[in-house]
Amino acid sequence: MPRGLSPFREYLEVLGVIAAVTIAGWFAPVRYYHAFGHVYLLAVIVLCLRVGRWPVLVAAIVSGLAWNYVIMPPRLSFSVLDFEDGMILGTYFVVALIAGQLTARIRAQERYERRREQRATALFDLTRALTGERTLDEAVAAALRQADKLFSAQTALLLAGEQGTLQLHNASSFHLSEVERRVAEWSGRSGLIAGRFTKVSPDAEALHLPMLRAGSVLGVLVLSLPADAALTTPEQRELFEAFAAQIALLIEREQLRAASEREKLLAESDRLHRTLLDSVSHELKTPLAVLRSAAENLNKTEGARRVDLAGEILTATGRLDRVVANLLNQTRLESGAIKPQLDWCDARDLISAARRGLGEALAGRQVRIDIPADMPLFMADAPLMEQVITNLLHNAARYTPAGSPLLVTAGVDERNWRVFLAIADSGPGIPPTMKGQLFQKFRRGNETQGSGLGLGLSIVRGLMLAQGGDVMADNLPGKGARFTVYLPHTLHSSVPHE
Amino acid sequence: MSPDLVKPEVLVIDDEMQIRRLLRFTLEDAGYVVREAETGHSGLVAIAHQPPDAIILDLGLPDMPGIDVLKRLREWSPLPVLILSVFGQEGSKVAGLDAGADDYLTKPFGGAELLARLRSLLRRAKPAEPASTVRFGAVEVDLVRRRVTKDGRNVKLTAKEYALLRLLVAERDKVLTHRQILQELWGSKLAGQTHYLRVFMMRLRRKLEDEPDAPRYFQTESGIGYRLVSDAS
Repeated sequence: MPRGLSPFREYLEVLGVIAAVTIAGWFAPVRYYHAFGHVYLLAVIVLCLRVGRWPVLVAAIVSGLAWNYVIMPPRLSFSVLDFEDGMILGTYFVVALIAGQLTARIRAQERYERRREQRATALFDLTRALTGERTLDEAVAAALRQADKLFSAQTALLLAGEQGTLQLHNASSFHLSEVERRVAEWSGRSGLIAGRFTKVSPDAEALHLPMLRAGSVLGVLVLSLPADAALTTPEQRELFEAFAAQIALLIEREQLRAASEREKLLAESDRLHRTLLDSVSHELKTPLAVLRSAAENLNKTEGARRVDLAGEILTATGRLDRVVANLLNQTRLESGAIKPQLDWCDARDLISAARRGLGEALAGRQVRIDIPADMPLFMADAPLMEQVITNLLHNAARYTPAGSPLLVTAGVDERNWRVFLAIADSGPGIPPTMKGQLFQKFRRGNETQGSGLGLGLSIVRGLMLAQGGDVMADNLPGKGARFTVYLPHTLHSSVPHE
Repeated sequence: MSPDLVKPEVLVIDDEMQIRRLLRFTLEDAGYVVREAETGHSGLVAIAHQPPDAIILDLGLPDMPGIDVLKRLREWSPLPVLILSVFGQEGSKVAGLDAGADDYLTKPFGGAELLARLRSLLRRAKPAEPASTVRFGAVEVDLVRRRVTKDGRNVKLTAKEYALLRLLVAERDKVLTHRQILQELWGSKLAGQTHYLRVFMMRLRRKLEDEPDAPRYFQTESGIGYRLVSDAS
């Protein structure tokens, strides 16, 4: 159905059609004047489809007059109507009125549908744009650009801050003057629409829409429409409000997500705290209990048993030392207190220092070291790397059968421009269920085996990341587990032979 | 300690009473005379009043940083100083060594380790006569004829390798920081170039160690420097 005829053109069309029928009737034999009554009626009904209510009424009146004056004998004079002609004329008006009403209603319906569709499309586009964005900032920016385009406007978004202050979002394309700012603040405080086209500060440049969710104001959407824009229809205003509501929904969703994230974090840190307390108290108290009872017994015992007791004390202090070192390391990592001092490191150096530090833990094990002769130096923090290798070797010794061999390799991963250092064991490998949480803190390889804090690998990962490296774990088919640490491969200036 | 010698005197500067008591226990058993000081100031006063043969200095003192005690001491006294630090203070160890400490120990340490460090400290402080040959393991270094042998066979060293070896031998059993070695061998312009040092140390180990990958004599002190352990058992 054609649409958008201006009222003037509608009247013109009405007159044109009736004139055409009248001219046709003028040239027809006078005796057919009755039939022309029906032709006029037909023309009026056809016009109903094309023009509005009032033009149709005009069509009915004009065609009635034209029929009587021009077509009906005697021509070019108004004739007295007989009953039949009167009936036809009466029918005209009734039909024209009904048809006009119907048409108007259909057209209003159509207009309404069209606006609804427009609005739905706009909101759909908005929603699609919003869900595509990952962060709140990106989504807000997308929403504002969408509003700019849709309303050919400049927009600004003010978000409610902590103490109810409004903060301008930096994706805003409209710069608020002092006056506009005050209007926006009024709108935010009262939760009412304000500014241009409204009763509150109508001389403002922009329209200020508060964004409300569950009674609280999340912010104010400011729309600065073109100077010649007219906000006439309630639908238009509804669309603005729907837009504001959509952005409000988005902000609320983001706030809820952040809140639930916080909640999750709290729950997780609660779990960690409980685990930490449980295992720390266990790990600290066991060696302390050993120390105490060994010290008490030293007084009463003589000879060889004294040596045994001294050995127990040494083992217990070694264990305490390790627990404290791990706890300190973890805490330093978490508080960001570890600032790696990168310097040139030699893989062999680090491995031998770590082995020396481990002492008894590796007793009875064959540790094979396979490092190419041209292994380059790399940049790392030597004490941290020693800690990493110590933890990995200790881990390997702990989770593999006593006496099973270990293999330490190092080399250059040419393709990724990094050096690696790998420690492979010949134990049972990493259980598939542990894979995802291997490097998380307070996870132990064998939860039932009641010792250890489960910090070793988490510290390894933390230390490697702090040095710009990484750690990975995999299983060697049919052999055991392998932990590989990576560091960037840096070239140093050549060393002169002398 | 041979009984005919005067018992060497050690001053322990530490604010922890228990540590002082246990150090006294260990040291007196080994034949030392032990004096104690609780603070940096009282320690300095005690040294000025009657210099001991060696000083054990804790880096964490209540009245002033141990490193300041060391710096002030070094203004007027070359007495051997062993510093004590705790885990994770690599930076302060290096600073202490560069400020003139002779060696360090990390708490908790073993008594045997402490006594070994102290012995080598005192030996260097009282050089009997400069030894012309030094032996460690199967290696013999003839400092007069600049000849190095291993298992009696001649080992060819380049000039820089020999210079490094000679420095380590002269300061054997003592830790040398990277900076100290670099300064000595290459002068101050190469102070940050530790890769030089690593490369030459690797070469020395290959030539002189039985197992270069698990060195017994040329030991690395991670993040600090190197130590030639001459009495490795």
